[in-house]
Amino acid sequence: MSEPKKILVVDDEYQITRVLKRSLQAHRYDVRTASDGETALDTFHDFHPDLVITDLQMPEMNGIELCREIRTISQIPIIVLSVKGEEKTKVEALDAGADDYITKPFGMDELLARVRATLRRAPREKKEETLLEAGDFSVDLASHQILVRGAEIHLTPKEFELLAFLVKNNGKILTHRALLGAIWGGNFTEQTEYLRVFLGNLRKKIEPNPAKPQYILTEPWVGYRFNSGE
Amino acid sequence: MSFFSSKKIVRFGVSMLAVLLITALLEPFHKEINSTTVAFAFLLVVLSSATFFGRNPALFASLIAMLCFNYFFFPPYRTWAISDSQNLVAWFAFTLTAIIAGELSIYARKRAEEAERGKLEIGRLYDELHEAFEQASQAEALRQSEKLKSSLLDAVTHDLRTPLTSIKASVTTLLEDKKEKLLDEEGQSEFLEIINEETDRLNEFIEGMVGIAKVEANALHIRKAWSEVQEIINNSLERAKNHLNSNRVLVEIERDLPNIFVDASSIAEVIYSLLDNAAKYSPPDSKIRVSARRGENETVEIAVEDEGRGIREEMREKVFDKFFRDDEEEDIHTTASGLGLGLAIARGIVESQGGRIWIENGADNFKTKFVFNIPIGDD
Repeated sequence: MSEPKKILVVDDEYQITRVLKRSLQAHRYDVRTASDGETALDTFHDFHPDLVITDLQMPEMNGIELCREIRTISQIPIIVLSVKGEEKTKVEALDAGADDYITKPFGMDELLARVRATLRRAPREKKEETLLEAGDFSVDLASHQILVRGAEIHLTPKEFELLAFLVKNNGKILTHRALLGAIWGGNFTEQTEYLRVFLGNLRKKIEPNPAKPQYILTEPWVGYRFNSGE
Repeated sequence: MSFFSSKKIVRFGVSMLAVLLITALLEPFHKEINSTTVAFAFLLVVLSSATFFGRNPALFASLIAMLCFNYFFFPPYRTWAISDSQNLVAWFAFTLTAIIAGELSIYARKRAEEAERGKLEIGRLYDELHEAFEQASQAEALRQSEKLKSSLLDAVTHDLRTPLTSIKASVTTLLEDKKEKLLDEEGQSEFLEIINEETDRLNEFIEGMVGIAKVEANALHIRKAWSEVQEIINNSLERAKNHLNSNRVLVEIERDLPNIFVDASSIAEVIYSLLDNAAKYSPPDSKIRVSARRGENETVEIAVEDEGRGIREEMREKVFDKFFRDDEEEDIHTTASGLGLGLAIARGIVESQGGRIWIENGADNFKTKFVFNIPIGDD
């Protein structure tokens, strides 16, 4: 990592942007701040950040709208600052294009970890990879073979598709809608109950202890997060 | 008043009596008066009977009338002989009158009753409509107040969370840095200062919340005493010293201003809030003027003026609301975006001591003038 990654921080509260800026800078990121959506978009065009961190609750253009605006011009990762209890907003943000969220008040260590993870996942290039590897998982898209901790497991076609999707998006929060849409298509995005049952079955196949899942983690009200065990 | 008694016997009886009464009255003069006159008299009775008692009593009355007419007023007198077809005509006239008038009377009565019922119905419908409207507006008011409550709650939680977020982020940075060692002395100090500042801000906010709660619960613990206005103002200035944005403060107190019977520390709090507000919303180095003079109706008026942008007419009531923040206000010369409670508390304090607080245009270069008055108080 030769060139420092550029981060754009957007929050209407000056107190927060200054702390984030100082802290991120200390960790060798190049940081610019904006106090509202309009300014953020302007800065975006000059600065070309590699990552955007934005608050959700802002007057005028709120975080969700900003995500949408950014998504019309770029696929760079977006992390949103959310508030506990505002699950609906979180989901909305994720569906609007945000990659991850973090709940205020948060530790900088947690935020930095998310930043690193999303930057690592970043370039959403259409690279055709046939072998997905992450942690305990090895997915061969060509032969439809899955190895968990070295052992092969047998999955139905849909289960395979879902697990491959999870491995590909390792560490990233995935909303019910995103999962359902990716595997079953746009007409089934409301079937959260079905998804729950489906994942339950998948857990039985891959988790050492399905009752205490370590790979497929539930984020209540929002969706699921895959942890490959690295 | 309804003459229409439901008692048949009454109706028939009175009708008959009326006829007999007329007969008795006129009989002594049967030789002098015209039979036509008598006939009309009976006709009137029949008509009245029909109007008030209905058709049947009137028919009965007309029969009696006819008999009396024949017996007492038609030659040969005091005989039942119907000497003349005129008598029959008379009877016919009475009967017809009785029938027609009787029917008309029933008809009229029915219509009247219907109208009455209709009126009641309309009255009832109106009440229902009124009720429904009341409920709807109450529901709306409730919705509005719920909306207001939840937006107030949002404002409160937001104002609490923001400093906490800064503090947590700073603290975790410092903790991590024990391992990472990325920060130099200056960097570390910066985060420590942020923690300090934000803790103060949090505290200020909590104090504000308590203040508002006290105002609303009428739990202000007012302890009044005769206090010197000069002293109160001096106290607030002392407290505001560090918050003034290098503003210059002018103090103008009218000569021989009487002492006021107030809770001095809370009044000082009010003046302090106004000073704080003035400093926040006016440019650095600008003047702030504090003045005190006699007001109307045995009050003392204290004002704080600043050279800021001024407050728009439409806003002059709203600024005293809890959590008010003028979203159109752009360049506030301070890092603190304002907690929106100071003025609300100030109003609470002033009003609880019998005073009033309002905003005027300032004089000279002072755009904004906050004024409040306090009754001087009795001995």
